[in-house]
Amino acid sequence: MSDNVLIRVTNLSYRYPRTKKYVLKNINLEIKKGEFIAVMGKNGAGKTTLCQCLNGIIPNSKRGRVKGKVEVAGLDTQNSSIAMLAQKAGMVLEDPETQLFTTKIKNEIAFGPENLNYPVDDILKSIEWTLKVVRLEGFEERPPTALSGGQKQRLAIASVLAMKPEVLILDEPTSQLDPIGTLEVFGVIRDLKEKYNMTIVIATHKSEEIARFADKVLVLDNGEILAFDTPDKIFRNTDLLQQAWIRPPQVSELANYLTQQGCKIDSFPILLDQAVEMVDEILEAKRGVDGV
Amino acid sequence: MSLIEYYPGDTFFHRLDPRVKIALLIIMTLVIFAVKNFLVIGLIFATVIVLWSSAKLPLYKFKTYFKFLFSLFVILIILQSLFYGGNTILVKPVIPDAVPLIGGSGKVTMEGLVFGFLISLRLLTLVALLPLISMTTPVHLLALGLVRLGMSHKIAYTATTTINLIPTLQAETRTIMDAQKLRGFTTFEDGKWWQKMKAYPTLVVPLVIGAMRGAQLMGVAMDARAFGTSKERTYIETIKMNTADWVTLALITVYAVAALILNFVVL
Repeated sequence: MSDNVLIRVTNLSYRYPRTKKYVLKNINLEIKKGEFIAVMGKNGAGKTTLCQCLNGIIPNSKRGRVKGKVEVAGLDTQNSSIAMLAQKAGMVLEDPETQLFTTKIKNEIAFGPENLNYPVDDILKSIEWTLKVVRLEGFEERPPTALSGGQKQRLAIASVLAMKPEVLILDEPTSQLDPIGTLEVFGVIRDLKEKYNMTIVIATHKSEEIARFADKVLVLDNGEILAFDTPDKIFRNTDLLQQAWIRPPQVSELANYLTQQGCKIDSFPILLDQAVEMVDEILEAKRGVDGV
Repeated sequence: MSLIEYYPGDTFFHRLDPRVKIALLIIMTLVIFAVKNFLVIGLIFATVIVLWSSAKLPLYKFKTYFKFLFSLFVILIILQSLFYGGNTILVKPVIPDAVPLIGGSGKVTMEGLVFGFLISLRLLTLVALLPLISMTTPVHLLALGLVRLGMSHKIAYTATTTINLIPTLQAETRTIMDAQKLRGFTTFEDGKWWQKMKAYPTLVVPLVIGAMRGAQLMGVAMDARAFGTSKERTYIETIKMNTADWVTLALITVYAVAALILNFVVL
């Protein structure tokens, strides 16, 4: 494996126990160190299953039939224990409630590293550090139950970071949060990417945020990879979006609509300021035409 | 808030080493089941209540639980007085002794009645004792106490987490009942008992399914945090028996022995 490929998935197919249908079909994928990958697709497309394959919950904890191979930081998930994999690939789940088990925030963060038998001094240091990263400084002694949804999800991120993983996998971390909670969580995720150069894989429907942060978008449909490309290429491909039931950012929707209406668009927008530029260009062109 | 959930505080009881509290629970449970004298159990019950107030636990919470327990006690007392047997007959058998096989059933004995009350009082004391430990000890310290007493972390953690799940299930029950009320289903409030019995599946089925789903998700989350993967495990908390802990442990022992002496020797 070359140095900067962190996750390599080769011909991966998987079906759950007692079912016949494969929920992942022949997945091939490479994720490099420091990359931010968004996994998109409608419900039931296989996003959660793929996430659980990447950190070894499948096949270590959930049975079923696995074909192919998943390597994370040089470890083959089929032959490595969850403890070894937890130090490579940390996973944050959808529901903030079910992933918090303790009565104090510092114990919550310590839970993973304690299980991994890290030295106490190291753990205390990572409690301090991770609380800073997720912006919950000074919350050590509070009970997790007293936090808001967004805070809980940030705590879940901190608890996973404390195990010092090389890649952070987030399975729809904001689908049960309100807009403010979503903003908070994405703020932390952005910091992780920009300040700490963390490799991130996130399954989400939030296309606005993906457009802003993701290096690449992986489109799943019915267990197969439909596309794996940069956000602007994905969000301008209307056929693909329709097939996979993905809603692009609103500005991209506007651009797609304008293109259908016969407008010529040079630079396709996925962010708001790009859209402002696009509208300016169109208006300018129009003025030019009108002026003649 | 329930009688199980940790109730934050900084009393002597809160600071007590979890091992001492576990010892208290075990020793007193044994004593409660060993003694037969009402006065002794009554004294133990009174002691527990005094400890409650010293730990600043909300006593009024106990009322709702007593209501629950009360119906159980009534059933226990009735059953015991009917089936315990004994010679002091209070109510003559419904079926005469002469009838083969079922003859003599339906009689109420004094011994049974007394035993029914005794069991009820024991249960009441036990139910009062448990929160004294669970409400004053954070789950992770309780687990750590069990580990230091030689239990494996996996088992200790599973046991303490189960205690922690009870409040979650209670909250879930309330949510389901509220949802039912919102749709005009008020049997649990103003229905007759047989209507309530019939209505229970509508409460229990979603509760069990929800709990199972929650447990499954929690399992995945715990796996992702490397739960139970390595034999050795560190703890950021340390517990240490100090003088006060040893003295308390000694006092508990003295109290238990005194109760036994009072029951079997004096009275």
